[in-house]
Amino acid sequence: MRSELNEICLIDQWLLHQLSEGEARNFETRLLLDEAFAEKVEAQRICHRLIRHYARRQERFRLEAIYGLLLEEAGFAHQLNTIFT
Amino acid sequence: MTKQMEDPIIQLYRDSFPDVARMIRRKGGTLEEAKDAFHDALLIYMEKEKSGRLQLHSSPKAYLLGTARICWLRARGATVALPETFDAAEPEDVDMEEREQSLQASLIRSGKKCIELLKAFYYDHCPMHDIAVRFGFNGTRSATVQKYKCLEKVRREIKINEAYAQ
Repeated sequence: MRSELNEICLIDQWLLHQLSEGEARNFETRLLLDEAFAEKVEAQRICHRLIRHYARRQERFRLEAIYGLLLEEAGFAHQLNTIFT
Repeated sequence: MTKQMEDPIIQLYRDSFPDVARMIRRKGGTLEEAKDAFHDALLIYMEKEKSGRLQLHSSPKAYLLGTARICWLRARGATVALPETFDAAEPEDVDMEEREQSLQASLIRSGKKCIELLKAFYYDHCPMHDIAVRFGFNGTRSATVQKYKCLEKVRREIKINEAYAQ
């Protein structure tokens, strides 16, 4: 892999707590001293968050669809009507 | 002809939601609130299951009932800790939401295939071998390299987005 991708891989390992104690210490020292590197780490942290939020939104759409589907089942809809009337 | 297996989440939904709705109703909540709390609880359940961190001390239904109760109380402003930090309700303030939406656009610009690949790895915790097969790569190495290229793409888009925002 080219060096930029190797760096992305290293940042990922740190974000996912996959580095050894020594490697993590070296990483964190670099994080303190190298501003450009720190910016890349922050951007990659944001990437992880965006992926999580995107995925959760997809799952919420799926759950809404399941709810809609179940409301078409007479037994399920009847139970909810009984509870809320 | 064999009957197609139903999605286990649909089964769990059908089996658990009426009990959650009944509990929320007894506490004075609405159907809409019950559904929101139940969806939050199901998301927590599914995420823990996918990441191998789900520890059930009783049935899935009991877990969902307990978690939905906490989610509902939190939605009403109570300070109750969830089983584990879960930021389902974020972002909260309007400025943050706008910023988040603009950042989400960065993710979308990286392309559908990239997003799905990243989701499969980071959220669904699919093994790299399965990802390689699903996305048509020659092997796990190609899939791994592509995953990092996708991250690089999103990171670049975030940088452009930040530059525009300043």
